[in-house]
Amino acid sequence: MAMKGFVRKFKPLELLNEEQFQSIHRATLDVLQNVGIRVEHERALKLLEKNDCEVDYNSMRVKFPPGLVEECLRRCPSSFRVKARDSKNDLIIGGNTIYFGPAPGKQTVNIDTWEPREATRKEAYDGLTVLDALPNVHFLPSYTPYFGFEGLSQVMRIPEICAAKIRNSSKWFFEGYSNDCEIFVIQMAQALGIDIMCSVLASPPLTHYREAIECAFRLAEAGMPARVLAGAVSGATAPATIAGATVTTNAEIIAGIVILQLIRPGMRIEVKDFTYPQNMRTGAPAFANIAVSLHGALFSQIWRRYGIPTGMTTAYPNSKMPDFQCGYEKAIIALIAALSGVNLQLVQGAIHGELTHHPIQSIIDDDLVGMIGRFLEGVEVNDETLALDLITEVGPIPGEFLSKGHTRKWWQKEQFIPQVADIWTYPEWMKRGKKGCVENAKEKMESILATHKPTPLKESQEQDIEKILQDARHFYKEKGML
Amino acid sequence: MSKEILSSLRKALRDYDGDQCIVLANEAIEKGVDPLMAIGALTEEIQKIGEGFNQGELFLPDLIGAGSAMQAAMKVLTSELKKRGVTRESLGVVVIGTVFGDMHTIGKDMVATLLTAEGFSVHDLGIDVKADKFINAVKELAPDILAMSTLLTTTAKEQNVVIDALNKEKLRGKVKVMVGGGAIDQTFATHIGADGYASSAPEAVVLAKSLLGK
Repeated sequence: MAMKGFVRKFKPLELLNEEQFQSIHRATLDVLQNVGIRVEHERALKLLEKNDCEVDYNSMRVKFPPGLVEECLRRCPSSFRVKARDSKNDLIIGGNTIYFGPAPGKQTVNIDTWEPREATRKEAYDGLTVLDALPNVHFLPSYTPYFGFEGLSQVMRIPEICAAKIRNSSKWFFEGYSNDCEIFVIQMAQALGIDIMCSVLASPPLTHYREAIECAFRLAEAGMPARVLAGAVSGATAPATIAGATVTTNAEIIAGIVILQLIRPGMRIEVKDFTYPQNMRTGAPAFANIAVSLHGALFSQIWRRYGIPTGMTTAYPNSKMPDFQCGYEKAIIALIAALSGVNLQLVQGAIHGELTHHPIQSIIDDDLVGMIGRFLEGVEVNDETLALDLITEVGPIPGEFLSKGHTRKWWQKEQFIPQVADIWTYPEWMKRGKKGCVENAKEKMESILATHKPTPLKESQEQDIEKILQDARHFYKEKGML
Repeated sequence: MSKEILSSLRKALRDYDGDQCIVLANEAIEKGVDPLMAIGALTEEIQKIGEGFNQGELFLPDLIGAGSAMQAAMKVLTSELKKRGVTRESLGVVVIGTVFGDMHTIGKDMVATLLTAEGFSVHDLGIDVKADKFINAVKELAPDILAMSTLLTTTAKEQNVVIDALNKEKLRGKVKVMVGGGAIDQTFATHIGADGYASSAPEAVVLAKSLLGK
């Protein structure tokens, strides 16, 4: 048993022709072999040197032979299972299946003024309860729903959010890393017998810093999967051109993969593109710029060819509230990602880049994801769906199809019915208080919080989690960080 | 035994299975179940479906499927009541149809189903109903309400034709006339001398009750 997700039933978008694909692939190998990647981790440098890489210990620069690169890419499984607390929520990542998860935010947002503020612990827990209830949230990513909540020290944010996810949802999740916190995240996963995937994030341009590689070793040694990410800003930490940024980000990701596959051959890896162009007005990442989708589509096509599951750039909007701009930015980014054949995509909940997240937005976005998911499943064509017998029976006017059993059987499979989008007629909409999707989502959120009860942890599991959090607090106190 | 048959009849309605509704309605009569009890059970079920539709939890195919299954059972049950000379209590009697020249059935079927669910006794004359058929039904059934639907601008005037015929036959004072359908609005309804207009099926139920002071 595993989470169903959505299965794409048709060919994905392919922006690159064969010659263009080969050009990018060759350029990537060239960067790895001749420019090299800075790896700020002594143990990794030794491992790479032992496996025929050219290593300069002073500059920490590593040059990767193409043969090794291609061998390590081949070692990655093209699809793999990850275990959740409840086996029906396991994911099988890869192939034509796409899973959607929420897009987290640093803070929550006041829904009257749309001003951001730190979430309370209760708001973080409630946000997770809503995500646990939403049918098109298939997993929970790192930093979800918020990067932390009131009263937490910086170093305890990831362990506490990890515990919050475990306590408020039985869906599978992955986590970030920082200040060695992955030690405790991995311990929590081991205590529950689940898989945790942590990030191994490159630092552009062309660098892997110590903490990320330390996390890579810990994941590999624990037999956990890894999510190797490149998060460049085109025009600042990567070339402004989409092809050029694809070369540098892919080279960074491949360097991470080589290290992981040398530590643990056959290790489960998902790659994720987190690259945005720079907003040249403000210097911030240009969230929801269409270049994000162009970069993402290239990324997805190339990594599908490499046979490694992908995640694509998060559907972060620029808009500061759930308005028209928020809707179209998210819809375009998420739809193109889905059509490009990505395996994991973050959509629900984010408002204004990664600054804020709100459960109301998650609920609205869950309809958006449902629409996309239904499209991916395509059209079924067989004797029953062709309905020739029925068409013959009904004939011309005054024949009709509405009263037929065939209609009752099929219409809900063929359509997607949104939960909170307004689909009433004008008179009904007036009568029902002129509510739009935001008001409907607010009511839905209140109803979920009043009725939805995530599968609770067993008492012994709760004790294990609390003890690991205590150990983490002790660890950081000893280090003078708490 | 009667409890089992009634429960099967309810299920057949929930499955929108008109054929099974007819079989079970006949079986109920054969086995001595009071037809009024059977109608009561079916009305309760269709009320739930009407409520689900109003709440947005059920959809048009449910409403139409249930309405059609209910109609099938009601034919059997009301004919038995007629044989026995029994009249059943209802909120009121409604004759409904889509006017001559118009084949649109869905809106009219929605109104008929929701009126039935509300407790009205509904006689559905179908679609493409000529004025004389409406008049004969009014004479024969003495309804409290005559409800007409039209979706086409070209057939909207047919509602006027029926009202004129009611006047001519001196029946107009005996029946309330309500009209609806995509082609018309309140202004048109007032112009042709209808007693009320509703723009949706749930509104039509509110209107029917208010016309009868319920």
